[in-house]
Amino acid sequence: MATTVTRKPAQARPWLSKQLRNDLRAYAFISPWLLSLVVFTGYPMLATIYFSLTDYTIVQPPQWVGLENYQRMFTADPQFWPAVWNTTFYAVISVPLSLVVALGLALLLNQNVRGVGIYRTIYYLPTMVPAVAGALLWTVILDPQNGLLNSMLESVGLPGPGWLKSAEWSKPALILMALWAGTGSAMLIFLAGLKDIPQTLYEAATIDGASSWQRLMRITLPLLTPTIFFNLIMGIIASFQVFGQILASAGSGGTVGPLNSLLMYMVLLYRSAFRSFEMGYASALALVLFVFLVLLTMLVVRSSRHWVYYEGEHPG
Amino acid sequence: MEREQHEGRRSVMSRRTFLRSLVVAGSAAVVAACGGNTAPEGGPAASAPGTAGGGGPVTIEWLNRYHTPVTQTLLPEIVSAFEAENPDIKVRYENPGSGEGYTEQILTRVAGGNPPDVATLFEPPVEFATRGALMELDTYMASATLATPDAFYPAPFRSCQWQGKTYGLPSSAGATAIFTNPAMLSARGISTSREGFPRTWDELKALDKEFIVIEGGEVKQAGFVPFIGSSWAYPVWSAINGGQIYDAANNQYTIDSDQNVEWVDYWLRWLDDNYGGDLEAMTIAANWASNYSDSAFYQGKAAMTFEGSWSCTDAEIPFEWEVVHLPVGPSGSTSYTAFYPNWWVVPNGSKQPEAAFRFIEFISTTGWTIWYRTIMDTPAWKQFPPTVITEKLVATIGEERAASVNAFFADYLNSAAEMWTSPVDTFASEQVSLAVEKVLRKQQSPREALAEAQQLAQAKLNEVLA
Repeated sequence: MATTVTRKPAQARPWLSKQLRNDLRAYAFISPWLLSLVVFTGYPMLATIYFSLTDYTIVQPPQWVGLENYQRMFTADPQFWPAVWNTTFYAVISVPLSLVVALGLALLLNQNVRGVGIYRTIYYLPTMVPAVAGALLWTVILDPQNGLLNSMLESVGLPGPGWLKSAEWSKPALILMALWAGTGSAMLIFLAGLKDIPQTLYEAATIDGASSWQRLMRITLPLLTPTIFFNLIMGIIASFQVFGQILASAGSGGTVGPLNSLLMYMVLLYRSAFRSFEMGYASALALVLFVFLVLLTMLVVRSSRHWVYYEGEHPG
Repeated sequence: MEREQHEGRRSVMSRRTFLRSLVVAGSAAVVAACGGNTAPEGGPAASAPGTAGGGGPVTIEWLNRYHTPVTQTLLPEIVSAFEAENPDIKVRYENPGSGEGYTEQILTRVAGGNPPDVATLFEPPVEFATRGALMELDTYMASATLATPDAFYPAPFRSCQWQGKTYGLPSSAGATAIFTNPAMLSARGISTSREGFPRTWDELKALDKEFIVIEGGEVKQAGFVPFIGSSWAYPVWSAINGGQIYDAANNQYTIDSDQNVEWVDYWLRWLDDNYGGDLEAMTIAANWASNYSDSAFYQGKAAMTFEGSWSCTDAEIPFEWEVVHLPVGPSGSTSYTAFYPNWWVVPNGSKQPEAAFRFIEFISTTGWTIWYRTIMDTPAWKQFPPTVITEKLVATIGEERAASVNAFFADYLNSAAEMWTSPVDTFASEQVSLAVEKVLRKQQSPREALAEAQQLAQAKLNEVLA
């Protein structure tokens, strides 16, 4: 049996495979963004590593000092550990509180009631107010003598604290301000998460006789864990970077709040960079914060395996 | 088929060309962005300093820091007056917005080789000069007619100097004083005259006690509360007790000197003896500092307060007031005033330093008259005409009293405390401020707290000097 071998005419193979061409095309389209990422984010990040190992005043060339900035930070700077403590206190209280309040508001605003759109707008509006304007507003509200909040407390027979003028109450005051300003965006994300939960699950549960509480605990919260997870990560990062409100409410000169009680990590970083002209030391502070946040985020991500559930995923 | 292949190849080539072009264009953009400075629009960046490039006037760029509405009306007036006197120089400036990030702007522009020709500072020039950000002005001052070293009040001028070299000029040196409410004083049969005011802290503390009203543990009225507010002026409290915070001649902080320990200890006893010792309760009860509308003084709840000359017009105090000298402490013998200048500097790398100097000379001397007519910020120039008095002050308290108040502040500047002279002034001030607060909140003894501040400030200074 004769076999006929049909030889296909030799075709010039494209220099680049189709897949690679497609990839390159995609990269070409995002190249403006990539370029700015490399130039305006990547390079500064790498530069920060280098500057953190130098004595650098911006105007004069950096002088290599090795790990001196880090050594000073952990062992010799009397403001470092108070700043770490203040920031941690603020983050530990404000992040969970903000999540709970935002979730509570989202659950309320997820109800089918008249004018719900207006309520959503009202609760979201503070997010739109610039941090400095919001802080100035709260400085007036929290004035111990003439402020609105203490007047309200007084009217119900409660003594008003000193808020921003008190070493004990200044951080709770800041948390209150952050709660007002930051809850709106988290609430909106929770609301989107709630809308994503299939109604059929609630209907089935209702038919099975589940109470509202059971539906919340067995359906809503488990299916909302990816949203909680996202808001938690964003909240942690934002809380360790709190800055604008403090600068506006406590001023940039002298002590930051009574007895430096509002000296947060970012304020220390800013003061080191632009008031003491220690860009090298400020870079080291920035890098330590970055590494800490990366580790903390990784920890939260790792823990998420145990408490974040995605629809259709079968645990175990 | 052939056509398809051809087009396909052409399209591959086209993408490659496109990508290559993109890379080239992107690189060019980056290089352009990171490259050296270019001449500002209409500016003569390439022309020789002090000369009119191309025969026209040179343009200097002033990094303006003033942003309040009233200053926005004054700035064009001042610039026009300067340009009329100096037709070979044009001044270009912009409204800085809120003023945030101003320091960053100066430093990064100096570092990037694109500095403004003139900048206004609200922080001591020494801090910038020791980091290499400012030009030395002594050469220009040597040939100046108005802005000569002895033409300024000594302490405000020294606030522009570092190791004998001059790095800026003070246009204003807002002097400070104790403001009194004569009606409250005379109601208790106390002299309201400047001469009759207490000369020592003991007398002032006793006078303060005359006015104190405490109800239900809350301070409702006070006489004079020295320990709340204006921490920037602490050097004057040290000076009137015979001490100093920083010895510029020897690069030495003296925060924990005996005089300073005595000063802070005196305040602690003042707080304890007159007000029951609870600083926080006092702070919450009212704003005992200053004389602006939210203050106890303004509201008639304090008979005296400490403030700067600028508040004579800014605060719009709703009653007749008087200004008096600060009494001296137990170890002091001379009354001094604190002062807060507006400094004018020529950043390093300025392309028109000579023209820039002429502008800052103008604004620090004759040009300040335009400013001072509207804003009562005491001039630092000694030859400033005494007949120029802030119009609002005259309108508020009358010509005779306005002239008297004007002369009071001008004269007081002859006895100004040494301040703003350290390369780490901001950092050290924060430490002193914290130390005083720790003492008044009973966290540390005066000696301990001041010793800690001393150690930190000196260490920071040594770092900068190393």
